[in-house]
Amino acid sequence: MAFKQDTANQQPMQQTALDLTGDELLVVQDLKKHFPVTRGIVFQKEVASVKAVDGVSFALNEGETLGVVGESGCGKSTMARCIMKLLEPTSGTIRFRGHDLSRLSRAEMRPFRREMMMIFQDPYASLNPRKRVGFIVAEALEVHKLGTDAEIKRRVQELLEVVGLNPEHYNRFPHEFSGGQRQRIGVARALAVNPKLIVCDEPVSALDVSVQAQILNLLKDLQRDFNLTYVFIAHDLNVVRHISDRVMVMYLGQVAETATRQDLYAHPMHPYTGALLSAVPVPDPTVGRHRKRIVLEGDVPSPINPPSACRFHPRCPRFVEGHCDVEEPALIPRGTSTSHVTKCHYPLERWPMSEEEMRVAGSATHAAAAASAPAETGS
Amino acid sequence: MALLEVNDLKTHFRTDDGVVRAVDGVSFTVDKGQTLGIVGESGSGKSVTCLTIMGLNPRRSAMTTGQALWKGEDLLTANPRRLREIRGSEIAMIFQDPMTSLNPVHKIGDQLAEAMRLHEDVSKKRARARALELLKAVGIPRPERRLDDYPHQFSGGMRQRVMIAMALINNPDLLIADEPTTALDVTTQAQILTLIEKLQEEFGSAVIMITHDLGVVAEIADDVVVMYAAEVAEKGGVEQIFKKPHHPYTWGLMGSLPRLDIDVERLVQIQGQPPSLLRPPSGCRFHPRCPYVMPVCKEIDPPLTAVSGDLGHLQACHLDEETKNREAAKLLAGMMAEAS
Repeated sequence: MAFKQDTANQQPMQQTALDLTGDELLVVQDLKKHFPVTRGIVFQKEVASVKAVDGVSFALNEGETLGVVGESGCGKSTMARCIMKLLEPTSGTIRFRGHDLSRLSRAEMRPFRREMMMIFQDPYASLNPRKRVGFIVAEALEVHKLGTDAEIKRRVQELLEVVGLNPEHYNRFPHEFSGGQRQRIGVARALAVNPKLIVCDEPVSALDVSVQAQILNLLKDLQRDFNLTYVFIAHDLNVVRHISDRVMVMYLGQVAETATRQDLYAHPMHPYTGALLSAVPVPDPTVGRHRKRIVLEGDVPSPINPPSACRFHPRCPRFVEGHCDVEEPALIPRGTSTSHVTKCHYPLERWPMSEEEMRVAGSATHAAAAASAPAETGS
Repeated sequence: MALLEVNDLKTHFRTDDGVVRAVDGVSFTVDKGQTLGIVGESGSGKSVTCLTIMGLNPRRSAMTTGQALWKGEDLLTANPRRLREIRGSEIAMIFQDPMTSLNPVHKIGDQLAEAMRLHEDVSKKRARARALELLKAVGIPRPERRLDDYPHQFSGGMRQRVMIAMALINNPDLLIADEPTTALDVTTQAQILTLIEKLQEEFGSAVIMITHDLGVVAEIADDVVVMYAAEVAEKGGVEQIFKKPHHPYTWGLMGSLPRLDIDVERLVQIQGQPPSLLRPPSGCRFHPRCPYVMPVCKEIDPPLTAVSGDLGHLQACHLDEETKNREAAKLLAGMMAEAS
């Protein structure tokens, strides 16, 4: 428990007060996944830990899509694997239909595996090249013993048809299909056992735009037809905006901001979200050229030694010395909507904003905040 | 005279399965200080076009015809020695994958200096100073200390910046960037695009930007070539391509893109898959996927023709102009309506 110390004094227990109604499909609270960094061969000593996911909380209703965005290394995929229990979380709870999955053993977990499936990023790597498509799609059905051989075959052919493939291609191998078709096979495999939740880890990142549109449309259609719930991970903000109901922005293992899709894209409050949005190229020459990108300095810091307090402070245009690097902001509603939470002391007042405006406004609010600061920190 | 003039370039590869027509009759020009964007899906021949110009195709299997006039001199018939002189000094290239295009066992500083010393007779010290200068220019923090680092000590975005520094070390007249930001995050992409624009202003280099991202093209290109299945589907100025697109494939590309500024319930999808270049479809290569297909499309490959007599805007489609104006207007109006 080498990390226990620093989490104790860095985390002033400012967890999000999730507004829970009780009938959410998935509730994740304060999820953490730390990977140990060891030194020594025989006597392995834990010298540090990579805090890949460090306190993520969110709730998800049935039939809803939560988009998760962030740069590579921000912990999106690790979070997905923890939810699926492909990785054992270090701490935190994952409640699926009211059951806490984080405490279940492998055997106890098995019945839940039918209800949550995953679609992976790379359709070239996620299908076994030596198995026929029919087998790949049927595997989960066979594992869970859902029907006789004939029934399973019929079901597989039906699934292939649902995802827009020829059911007669049942006996083909993955290499006989193109990238988009393979991703359809991945979707069919995920659908086989009638899951409630599908975690999509960058499902369209490896595809060409025209094929990407096909898969996005397919996922939307399936959601409507089967009342599916998605956790949709992507680094492309355009794609996330298209498919999500709510969006969660992650930075260095933590949630920077969560809001409904409309709120997040129209009024981002976290400076990091603002920087991300401003960095997305707009496919319109008249708009695109006159737009000012907010260019963040440097790279994402190492999750082994994350920056103190607010993790974004070394790159933040609104950084206020003595506050942002000392006191960790809580993930709380800062605007008018209670569902729009952000982890920032100096959230953006309006949008769009240029980099200079961000800076100026940051120091202006600082002056105001400094006046009231004693009262705040006194508690 | 244009800086680079490519005429009817064809690159065919002999493979065990037959001849792959990877590039099949591509023409374009690049002027000094100008940015040309080449857009298309994977396998449309955008990268092979540029590799051919640079003479980087495998000599044994590639068959090349056409012309690539570099300041009047045909690169396709130039001898290997002359090509080596031009490559890296007059024309430089940035590759897509910064992870694999640097040598992992040599220090960054040495790799940069080598690129300079190959082309100019300068002292090691002078080359090292120039390497330092460029690392500074591309925004690597504490460059004097990073010169003696190895590539694995750099992050993806920083490696890509090192690649750009290497490409620019001899002040090239033309920079070919093959998907320079595809492997990077949006924030890093913004850094790299800003950097390329800044350097272009400073050094006045021309840029060929190969990408599948219409957003990137809209932001930095002056001229655009849209490629489909080894051929040019449409080309023109950036305003013309985005405001008056004239090819159903261009419409499909634009419609299939989810956008930040526009809400759509369903994306336009181009049916099917890009064709195999071993056996490309007869007639217009886009016809099996085209929603406007007519009998003539299956027979005759449409030539590149001027749009309303404007030689700066060419397109290869049989549809009559009236229909196209109407459909393009509909597409854009749809976007406008959604945007407001």
